[in-house]
Amino acid sequence: MDQPIWDAVVLSRVRHLHLKARYLASAILQGEHRSRRVGQAVEFAGYQEYLPGMDLRGLDWRVYGRSDRYVIKRFETETELPCTVVLDLSGDMGTGASGRVALPDLERGKASYAIVLAATLLYFLHRHGEPVGLELVAGEGVTHSSLPPRSGRNHLQLLFLQLASVRPGGVADLGPSLARVGQRTRRRSWVGVITDGMEEPVRWLPALGAFARRGTDLRLFHLYDRSEWAMSFSAPALFYSPEGGEPLAVDPHGAAAAFAEVAREYVDEVRGGVVRFGGRYLPVPTDLPMEQVIRSAVLDRPLGVELP
Amino acid sequence: MSFSLLAPLSMLLSALVVLPVLAHLARRIPRDRRPFGAMLLLERVVERLRRRRRVKDPWLLLLRIAALLALVFAATGPRLSYPGGTSEYGASGRVVLVVDRSLSMSLADGGATLLQQARERAISVARDLPGGVSVGLIAFDDDALRLTTSLTADHERVIARLEALQPTSGASDLRGALLEARRLLGGEPGEILLFSDEAGPKMIGEAATEIARLVEAGSAIIPQDVFAEPPRNVAVTGARYGDGLEGGQVTVRVANYGPDATEVGCEVTLPDGASIPIFVDLPPEGEAEERITIPTEARGGVGEIRCDDPDLALDDARYFHLPQVGASRVLVVDGDPGDTPTRSEIYFLERALAPWGGLKSGVTIDVTSPVGLMDLDPERHRVVFLANVADPRPFGPRLTEFVRGGGNLVITGGDNVTADRYNAALASILPAPLRKSRSVAAPGEEGVPVALPDIEEPLLSPFRRGGRASFTRIRSHTLLTFEPYQDVPDEVRTLLRYDNELPAMVERRIGQGRVVVWTGTMDLGWGNLPLQSVFMPMVQRLVSYLGGEAGTGAARFDGVVGQPVVVPLPDLALEPTVIGPDGTPVRSRIDGARLLFTPPDAGAYRLELDSAPPLAHVAVNTDPDESDVRRYDSVEEMERELAPDLLVQHADLSRPLLALALALALLQALVAMRGASRGST
Repeated sequence: MDQPIWDAVVLSRVRHLHLKARYLASAILQGEHRSRRVGQAVEFAGYQEYLPGMDLRGLDWRVYGRSDRYVIKRFETETELPCTVVLDLSGDMGTGASGRVALPDLERGKASYAIVLAATLLYFLHRHGEPVGLELVAGEGVTHSSLPPRSGRNHLQLLFLQLASVRPGGVADLGPSLARVGQRTRRRSWVGVITDGMEEPVRWLPALGAFARRGTDLRLFHLYDRSEWAMSFSAPALFYSPEGGEPLAVDPHGAAAAFAEVAREYVDEVRGGVVRFGGRYLPVPTDLPMEQVIRSAVLDRPLGVELP
Repeated sequence: MSFSLLAPLSMLLSALVVLPVLAHLARRIPRDRRPFGAMLLLERVVERLRRRRRVKDPWLLLLRIAALLALVFAATGPRLSYPGGTSEYGASGRVVLVVDRSLSMSLADGGATLLQQARERAISVARDLPGGVSVGLIAFDDDALRLTTSLTADHERVIARLEALQPTSGASDLRGALLEARRLLGGEPGEILLFSDEAGPKMIGEAATEIARLVEAGSAIIPQDVFAEPPRNVAVTGARYGDGLEGGQVTVRVANYGPDATEVGCEVTLPDGASIPIFVDLPPEGEAEERITIPTEARGGVGEIRCDDPDLALDDARYFHLPQVGASRVLVVDGDPGDTPTRSEIYFLERALAPWGGLKSGVTIDVTSPVGLMDLDPERHRVVFLANVADPRPFGPRLTEFVRGGGNLVITGGDNVTADRYNAALASILPAPLRKSRSVAAPGEEGVPVALPDIEEPLLSPFRRGGRASFTRIRSHTLLTFEPYQDVPDEVRTLLRYDNELPAMVERRIGQGRVVVWTGTMDLGWGNLPLQSVFMPMVQRLVSYLGGEAGTGAARFDGVVGQPVVVPLPDLALEPTVIGPDGTPVRSRIDGARLLFTPPDAGAYRLELDSAPPLAHVAVNTDPDESDVRRYDSVEEMERELAPDLLVQHADLSRPLLALALALALLQALVAMRGASRGST
């Protein structure tokens, strides 16, 4: 966050991001988030047989006049749905097809994909009238940045500015970060976590319990680079993590089979953890069309991704 | 077996073994560095691969070290020396085939006898010998026989002789065979191929000198294995008639030379055709003894015991002499029929020898007057008592012939006995010339007691446990005396003496026969012997002692298959014929007063004169040592002791080791490639 907000590059990226999000959001079929709370509102929800003790204000006298039956009219309450996008831009997110760059070009790589995905989700939800917020759990120079859900165009611009200026770096430390976000999240809100999950699942999956306890509608966007997981590298190399640690000398050709085996076990482990806390697991390779991801995330449609 | 290196300094190259170790220790670090977002997964992959490599890498290292060591070892020129002759013969140009055809070579092994196997192998060797090689052939049993008079290049003739080779029941004279081989070689070096089972405790030891001579001459004795593994054989190794219940007992020894305990069925066939079946339990590599009781009446001759054994049939029978056994084997010649029992030797002898009337006793007696001696039948009577006979001169030659033919004569004293007449009639068979009878106590006195006897004497040994002291109660006041004489071992022995040192009982052996003189009387005329408790057992023992070991009228001889049997001939005008077990005459020859023949097979042989009873029986058996089919010594070992460099094969191990090194190198390459295909860190 050392970039000043009047930085021309950042402003250009904000606009670029805005346009991209707007373009992607408009391509998505319009859908609504319906509240699960039922009560007095403008949207008719259906009839229910009258039972003694019910509020007589809901009684439909016309039905009574026609059929001599007491029925109560039910309406859906249209409420605000606070939406929070939790974005992990730790050092590992800066790898992938495009390698490490100073600022993600918003076209390639896991970080670019994550930023655009976050922006599109925020824009879409904002256009739908929901208050939106952004939680950055890692990034270069970012320990933890939190912008709680709010409505308003200026707030959205602030979120875009945040997204446009952040670059991958540092260590996410997902467990404590998610636990902290979970504690701040409003009850019955929508939370989308965008991460590559490259920490031991046993250390951060339990943190999802905080969202479950607050009745949060949780989506976990698990980003990965297909080329990385396929170990499609031509020659042995010394592989290292941008987040630190010992490098490993590996012959990609020989290790591919074992990597696929390990990756499948890992995905199963993460998926199990997410589902256990009532969330929805979305494995997102970075070459997957983003409309497909948004549509699956907000309309609960199948993602249709084959795991490695 | 020994081991040597042609270039031991090459072992220094083994220091190269550090190379694969260093190679394993060294890590190949890739130059390229690549940021990777899924390091968490990659760490898991590496850990997984490392677990697999922990098992695989040490093997790879071992394979590489082994390959390198095999290569270094091959460079040192290793050479293995081990015992064994070459499979190709004829290099010396002079080969003698020596084939054992003795009894033990008839051992069955895998459907064929050892001799058949030896013959086939010898024929095979003879066929494979190069054309210019001179060959000789010797077959041996207890006699070594040249089947080629000299070394010959005519291999077909040798093969024809080999094909005609037949087994015998003889023993193994390897020494003789090697001697003949040395003669065939004419003192020059050559190869002697020995086709033998080398069985028996003595065969090799007896040939040691000849083996040494051949080795010294530069020849090589190359044994060809014709062994049965393990060798098994049951053989009857002994059969002998002796004292015992009823009509005596035949003691049979059966040996088992195999490694397993077994039970064999045997049948004893007596000369009169009666057969007695028995079963013998045999321990592994041990022997058992059985006693067969002979009926109270049995004809004398040669009996047979035969046991069932499928391995080697030639030694399953053994032949033994059986004397005439029957109730009437004692002839008592009554020279003084007394008017009262106390003065009758017959009265007391009858009660002593046949107290139950002779039916249940093993001994009954025929009583005759001296004239009855004219009808003395050696086939019927084995013991003759001359009881106070006055004049034996008319029967002297008959009695002498009887004793020389194996009969037994007991002379007892009495008033009728006249020393001069006895000396005249029986001088050649008496223990010593007799003197006049002599009074050793005054009338009315008890007489001189018999001294405590020596129970080591076989005659008196049954009294070891009791009755010895009873002899001292025997007293005599008058005795027959002898001219001075001395005991001669195995000929003249004083069996009993009186307290005054005068002899009481004296024995003389003459060939198979014996003469025993009791210097007292068998009645109460000169003493109290018949009234003593020891009288009956002593007389019975005396008859048993004499009758059990003495025989029929025919002389008895023993022989061994293949070895000459010498039979001393009595003064006869005609030449006897030797009749073999199959009833056909056997070739024999007279050499002075002896007849000699060599029995080819085991069995009962007899010497006969036309229209006369057998002159002699000969029980011919196989050599028991030949039945022992186990190996005790080895020609090869003995030869190796004499000349360590002989019969040694050398094997160059360089090439096999080189091949091994290449194989190991290929294997390690495969393992390494497989490891690489599974990933490496």
